[in-house]
Amino acid sequence: MACLPDDKILSYLDGEIKSIEQSLIRDHLLLCANCRRKAEGYAEMNKILAQPALSQPPAWLVPRIMKRLYPEIHSYASIAALIAASFVFFVSWIYIYFDFSSNSLIQALRLTADRTSNWLVDAIKGISAVYSSVQAVFKACNAFLGVLLTTRPGAGALIIAFLLAFSGLLLWAMIRLLLRKPREEKH
Amino acid sequence: MILDEDQALIRKTLQGDKKAFEELMRKYEKRIFSFVIRMVRNEEVAIDLTQDFFIKVFNVLDKYNFEYKFSTWAYRICYNLVIDHIRKSQALVSSLDDDSVSSREMLSSENVVSHDGFKNLSREETSAYIWKLVENIAPKYRELILLRYIQELKYEEIAEITALPVGTIKNRIFKAKEILKREMEKDGLPA
Repeated sequence: MACLPDDKILSYLDGEIKSIEQSLIRDHLLLCANCRRKAEGYAEMNKILAQPALSQPPAWLVPRIMKRLYPEIHSYASIAALIAASFVFFVSWIYIYFDFSSNSLIQALRLTADRTSNWLVDAIKGISAVYSSVQAVFKACNAFLGVLLTTRPGAGALIIAFLLAFSGLLLWAMIRLLLRKPREEKH
Repeated sequence: MILDEDQALIRKTLQGDKKAFEELMRKYEKRIFSFVIRMVRNEEVAIDLTQDFFIKVFNVLDKYNFEYKFSTWAYRICYNLVIDHIRKSQALVSSLDDDSVSSREMLSSENVVSHDGFKNLSREETSAYIWKLVENIAPKYRELILLRYIQELKYEEIAEITALPVGTIKNRIFKAKEILKREMEKDGLPA
């Protein structure tokens, strides 16, 4: 009695053999110890393969993917802060350099306030007060710059270059945040 | 149209529910990672490829056809990603097939084989040994064993993913088992 080829035994174990041939193979396995041993070995292997030990990916993988797919909202707060900082800084250096001492803006605000309700007047007065304080700081800076420029002419250009570079840096950071896209991260 | 669990999660994801996609990832991360790591045999690369896979799935999720099973569609993406990587990196090192050497040396160096042979191995140890052998058979066999047993796919689904005829898949899986059995016998494990 010739032994069964391995693929026949495997097909039988996989239930791939039709009923008549299936019973012939079953009979053969009962009679042939060699094929029976093979079939038992393959059956055991099938069982082991069917229960694989799955590998666990690192716990940080899914959160990292989520972060890439859904960038966090808090970046909006950073963007707002950067816009504000850039604006203040940009206006500051213009004021310091050009010495804008005109009060036309405050006068315009006051005129508007006179024609509106009291709470708005108070609000605008508050803004005016802050504006005046800021302006005083600007004037002080301007005076300092004036002294510096008269004593050391080259320093003015350096200060302006520094202010421009810093403003540019802030704007660059802001634009980078705004245009931020998911990118490759290495753990 | 009645949606299965995966499809319901996809629908929610497409509607902007980020928790739904996270749930989908949690469901598949182990099987995908297990498949990838056994194909590329490098943990760092497997992590990167698993991440690339989920990002790719997310980016093409709107192209998913709800008439088909999500798992088959996703595994096809995963399979192509891994095969592309292997082709590019040519990371196919020595594999066990008819002409190759036994994996015994490699396995014994990793303390899988005990000094007493395999007769005293527990079921867990035997399983670890067999899966180690699977990682070292030729990729054309390994990928099919992994798709069949890690991803628990039917022959027809594997055919859809690999674009191979069902007959070829069955033959290769049988062949892979014969190779595994031969290796086990060489190492004294009754197979």
